[in-house]
Amino acid sequence: MSLELLEKLSECVEFGKINQASPYPPQMKGQSGADEITKEALEAGIAPSDILNNALITAMNKVGQKYTENKIFVPQMLLSAKAMSASMAHLKPFFASGAVQRKGKFIIGTVFGDLHDIGKNLFGMMVEGAGWEVIDLGIDVKIEKFVETVQQNPGAVVGISALLTTTMVNMKPVIDAIKAISPDTKIIVGGAPLSSDFASQIGADGYGKNPQEGIVWLDKISA
Amino acid sequence: MNDFCAYSFSFGEVAPTIDEVLDFLQSSDLEEEHPAVTFVRDTLNELNFDTAIRGGYVLKDINFPDPKTGLLQVDNMTLNLGRQVCGYIKEANQAAFFLCTAGEGFTQMANRLNEQGDIMEAYIMDAIGSLTVEKAMDKIQGALKTQVGKNGLKISNRYSPGYCNWPLSDQKTLFDLIGENTTGISLTDSCLMIPRKSVSGVIGIGQELKHHDYGCAICNNATCIYRKIIARTESHDL
Repeated sequence: MSLELLEKLSECVEFGKINQASPYPPQMKGQSGADEITKEALEAGIAPSDILNNALITAMNKVGQKYTENKIFVPQMLLSAKAMSASMAHLKPFFASGAVQRKGKFIIGTVFGDLHDIGKNLFGMMVEGAGWEVIDLGIDVKIEKFVETVQQNPGAVVGISALLTTTMVNMKPVIDAIKAISPDTKIIVGGAPLSSDFASQIGADGYGKNPQEGIVWLDKISA
Repeated sequence: MNDFCAYSFSFGEVAPTIDEVLDFLQSSDLEEEHPAVTFVRDTLNELNFDTAIRGGYVLKDINFPDPKTGLLQVDNMTLNLGRQVCGYIKEANQAAFFLCTAGEGFTQMANRLNEQGDIMEAYIMDAIGSLTVEKAMDKIQGALKTQVGKNGLKISNRYSPGYCNWPLSDQKTLFDLIGENTTGISLTDSCLMIPRKSVSGVIGIGQELKHHDYGCAICNNATCIYRKIIARTESHDL
C-alpha cells in the first residue's frame, strides 16, 4: 500500500499532476494529484522522510535527467516543480519540527546589479526537490546580504547566479567576502555567460552548466 | 528628439501567435491539454494592454566599420561593435541605431504570477514579453527596409550589445548616440535596460550591403533569444 502510494506520488510529480482539479495529464484526469496523495500518505502513516526521499527526490531527479537529455523543456520542468511544491507544503511542519532531515541548507541569489530570476528560481526549485532547504535571497543581492545570511546559517552552501557579462564580474567580490568570513563555505555559480574556467578563476568551488549538473555537485559535496 | 523616428503599437498589432510562443518555449509538441499550451492560448486571447509598445531609431552616416579593429566611429563617438558585427555590416555607410520596449506590464505580471506560486505561468508571461518586443522590432525593421529600399538601399540583420560578441558594456555609448527619445528606456549601472522587456542595437544600411546569417553555428550562447527566433526572423526575409 505505502509503496503504491509513493509510486503514484512520484508519477504525479514527474508528470505535473498537481491536484485532483488539474486536468493534466489527460490519463490521470479526475484522479488524486500530488496534493491529495501526500495527505493520504501521511494519514496512512508513511514517514514524511520516505515521502521526501522515495517519491519527491526520485521524481525530481528523473525530471532533471530528462531536461538534461532534452526530452522535456522548461515548462514541463516547472509544472513538475509546481506539483512538488503542492506535496512539499504538507511536509513543511515536519521540516520545522526536525522530524525530516534535509541534506542541508542552500542559500541562493542573483548577484548585485542583475535583475534576472528565471534561472535562479528554476535551480532553487530543483535543489529543493533534491532534498535541500532553500533560502532564496532574490535578485540584485548585495555582498552584505550574502555574508549576513552565511553567518546566520553555518554550514550552508551558497549559489550565485548572473545572466550578464557585465554582472558576472560582480561574483568575485561576493565570493571573496564570503570566503573571508567563512573559508570552508562551499560556493557554486551558474548563469548563461559563465564557464567552468571562469568559475575557477573567481574562486568558486563549483559550476553548474545546467540544473542537473548543479544537483550532482551538491550531492557530491554533501555525501 | 527630432531625429528619433518613433513608432508605437498596441499589443494586438505586435502580439506573437500561439505557435510562435510554443516554438520559443520548445513546446510545440505538447498536447493541447497541457497547462502550458492552455495558458499561452488563454493569455494571448485575453491580454489587453492599454500601454503602448514603443520603439524607433536614429539614422546616422557612418564611416565604414572596420572588421579588423571591431570599431565603428559615429558622431565623434566610438562603438566597440566587435569584429563579428563589424564584419556583418562592413559595406554599410549608414546605420539605424534602435530602441524598442514592450513596457513594464509583462514583467509586473510575471512577478505577480511568481509570487502566487504560478511559476510556469510566470515563465511563459516573461517569454511572451520577450517575443512581443522582438515582433515590434520586426515591424520597425520592416518599415525601415521599405523606406530605404525606395532609394535602392539594403539593410542588414539587427545586432544588439551582449550578442554576437558585441560587449554589453557598449550600451552606454549606444544610448548616448541615440540621445533623447520617446521610449522611456533607461540603463542601470550594469547596462541592464529598464523596462526589462526592451531591445537596442544597430542595423546597417548600404547599397552594397550583403545579407549575412547570424553566426549561431559558431557561437556557444545556448540561451540567446536570437538563436531561438532565428527561423522566424529569417522566414520574414528582413
